[in-house]
Amino acid sequence: MIESLVAKFLVQNVEQYFVLAFVLLGIGLFGMMVRKNLITILMSLELALNSVNIAFVGIDKMNSLIDGQIFALFTIALAAAEAAVGLGIIISLFRLRKAENVNEIIDLKG
Amino acid sequence: MLSQIAFYLFGSISIICGLGVVSASNPIYVVLWLLGALIAISGIFFSAGAELLGALQLMVYVVAIAVFYILIITAVPWRKLHKNEQHNRLIGVAVLPFVAILYVEAFIVALSGVSLSKNKIIETITKNYGNASTIGIKLFSTYFWAFELMSVLLLISMIGAILLGRKEEKTYD
Amino acid sequence: MPTLILLFPLLSFITIGLFGRRLGDFTSGLINAVAGILSFIAALITMLNLKAPEDIILYKFLPVSHTSIDIGIYVDRLSISTTLTVTFVASVIFVYAIGYMRYLFGNWTFKFFAYFSLFLFSMLLILLGDSLILMFFGWEGVGLASYLLIGYFHEEKFATKASLEAFVMNRIGDWSFILGIIYTFWLFGTLSLPKLFENASYIPGITLATLLLFGGAVGKSGQLPLHTWLPNAMAGPTPVSALLHAATMVAAGVYMVARLYPLFSLSHTTLSYITITGVITMVFAALVATVHDDIKKIIAFSTMSQLAIMFTALGMGFPTAAMFHLTTHAFFKALLFLAAGAVITGLHHHTQNIFEMGGLKKYMPITFGAFMIGALALSGFPPFAGYFSKDAIVSSIMDKSSLVATMILFTSMLTAYYITREAFVVFLGQGHYHEEPHEVESIMTLPMLILSFLSLVGGFLLWSYFTYMNSPIEPPSSFIIHSIYGIIVAVVGISLSYLLYVKKIIDPNTLYELFKPIHSFVKSQFYTEYIYHNIFAKGYLAISRLVYKIVDRILIDGFVNGVASATSNYGKPVSKLQNGKLNYYALYMLYGVVCVFLLLILVIFEGGIPNG
Repeated sequence: MIESLVAKFLVQNVEQYFVLAFVLLGIGLFGMMVRKNLITILMSLELALNSVNIAFVGIDKMNSLIDGQIFALFTIALAAAEAAVGLGIIISLFRLRKAENVNEIIDLKG
Repeated sequence: MLSQIAFYLFGSISIICGLGVVSASNPIYVVLWLLGALIAISGIFFSAGAELLGALQLMVYVVAIAVFYILIITAVPWRKLHKNEQHNRLIGVAVLPFVAILYVEAFIVALSGVSLSKNKIIETITKNYGNASTIGIKLFSTYFWAFELMSVLLLISMIGAILLGRKEEKTYD
Repeated sequence: MPTLILLFPLLSFITIGLFGRRLGDFTSGLINAVAGILSFIAALITMLNLKAPEDIILYKFLPVSHTSIDIGIYVDRLSISTTLTVTFVASVIFVYAIGYMRYLFGNWTFKFFAYFSLFLFSMLLILLGDSLILMFFGWEGVGLASYLLIGYFHEEKFATKASLEAFVMNRIGDWSFILGIIYTFWLFGTLSLPKLFENASYIPGITLATLLLFGGAVGKSGQLPLHTWLPNAMAGPTPVSALLHAATMVAAGVYMVARLYPLFSLSHTTLSYITITGVITMVFAALVATVHDDIKKIIAFSTMSQLAIMFTALGMGFPTAAMFHLTTHAFFKALLFLAAGAVITGLHHHTQNIFEMGGLKKYMPITFGAFMIGALALSGFPPFAGYFSKDAIVSSIMDKSSLVATMILFTSMLTAYYITREAFVVFLGQGHYHEEPHEVESIMTLPMLILSFLSLVGGFLLWSYFTYMNSPIEPPSSFIIHSIYGIIVAVVGISLSYLLYVKKIIDPNTLYELFKPIHSFVKSQFYTEYIYHNIFAKGYLAISRLVYKIVDRILIDGFVNGVASATSNYGKPVSKLQNGKLNYYALYMLYGVVCVFLLLILVIFEGGIPNG
């Protein structure tokens, strides 16, 4: 049982990429939850997005595909757009409210 | 074997840097940790044979977006931020079990075998043309519309960011 | 050329409808009349050129699998001769309407002429349409135009009520008509008239189909039991009554039955039902007409009665005789209405009660002459038009059923009585007026003179009409012998009213006092109107109110309000989750991801995804 697991870790396979992707995704999500500063929340989000890219690339490598990389490319473009808009929002929020702490921005409270 | 070692190396670096992103309190350090993680991830891309993607990762993320973040942090008074508490500790503790559950679940899924069929067609194409031209061919044939949509999205976000970041003549309230 | 017949009224409707305000009321009336006359000329040319029945398909509409509903024009001898009558009478009335409506010019009267054009177009669609569906379009168009025209004085409560009543009564008939059309389509697989005539053969369902179609005719022609709208429709201006409710629109029902006679003749049940409806209606309407005192309503009831005679002829199997009576009836009934309108105009629109008139002969000689010709034609007095057409029906039916023929003769006697009664009361005797009555202007007398001429000589067309329609008719010599009963009843009816209302051998008032209960019973149309209003309408309202209280208020509202309050009650605690903090939203996302993975694991261990 343990030998087979070890052997699995020695040979490269798609599961390893998935594991790494999940670890990073979890860290990113955790960051999004514990952080108070909007900028750092956004950075955690970048981390989570990148973890998905890892999964894409892993699938591609293990199956000799190319489609995953294209979607990773789209994700990068999306991340750039998201960063531009998100940071724009943060700047205007700061300018209007002088607030960057998410606990101060609770207009959507039900 | 070499790529396997590279994978583990970059993987562990990215995990450590990721933890740094979550835990560091000074925003500048957070950016630095993020940079480290992104570079490590691009290393994974290179080791996995996705050269174009790795290069783009370095150019777009590591250069452009990271610089962008630093610019923003300088635009807001981060010294004041630095004094405040940076973490919701309570929620952090409360959430940890769920993150753990997520990991356990993910491991179960990963180890119990999500497998995909092999397809050798793309492999031969890759050998013939190399990675960058293959992606280019795919991008401008199969995924052409998605590519166009993405360019429109980028354009819109650019306009939106300019509008948002512009100095307002008057505030709305 | 047949297309042009339809095109002129449509163009006129569009022109007046869109630019009427700019053109002015008089010009609109003129355009309307010219369009009618051009349409008549086109019909005349078509009739002269017509050799065999032709079906001109203009457009293929709804091609579904092997069949399609075509929009086209079907021209044969029946349709073109009726078209000729309708366009002629309509043109004459259009000219008259310019004069009649003059006192209203400046009050958006162009609308009136636009409605007239719309009406004529729809009527021609019924006459010339080559499929039942096109006929139905015309049918509805006529209903719409009549609704607009009856309610033309829309500031008056009774006019709007009458228009609504006409609309609703027609709807009941139309409902039956469209069911009939659907059923016919189901039986024959086609709605095209030429194809229907080709395929006409006895099929078990044909009785029901024709009965449903006849239901439409009952509604449109104001037969029992859907008759109440016709007398009330007199709320519209008199040209409307003349055009719609005498000469053309109500004739649509008769025409439809005659048009589809190859189908109707297949079912004896339907034919006998038509006969029964016709007989009851004609006696009923004639009796009601004898006691009414409104100058227009008497003529309206007589229209009902005459249409019923046509239906009786159709039911007994003599469509040609019915259609000829339709033609002559269009002439003299339009004439009567125009004369009545002239009387109303001459009296400055003050009254319509005949007992408030009298002695108009010396003020309005031309109108008196026209009315008398119309009255005598309606009575069936030789040699006026009504004599020929009515006695053609009577002498045909006499051989088949003497009972029905007797009923028609009885109706004829009543007809002669009430119409001459109206003429005598209005024009003879003495009357005193606040304002001096005057003869109407020539634009109104000219149409009356034209129609008077036709009411005088139109009957002599009897033999040529029957020959044209390839229908057998007895020669003039035997016809006169057979029509002796008709002449007798006409003379009896006329002399009765002459003795009562001119010589006054018995004072009508004492008679009235004597038969007061019967009089009011008859005048209320045998309480049919009362029954409709109080039992059907009020009963329906009561049921509606009950349904409103129980179903609407308790069931539906209860359900809807319950959903609303449940949503808000459960939503309030749930909305606590939305605390506006971004971190928590991310947390909820995590919960979601955890759940999805749990599901995935379950699927894998249940064997959902094969392990490779």
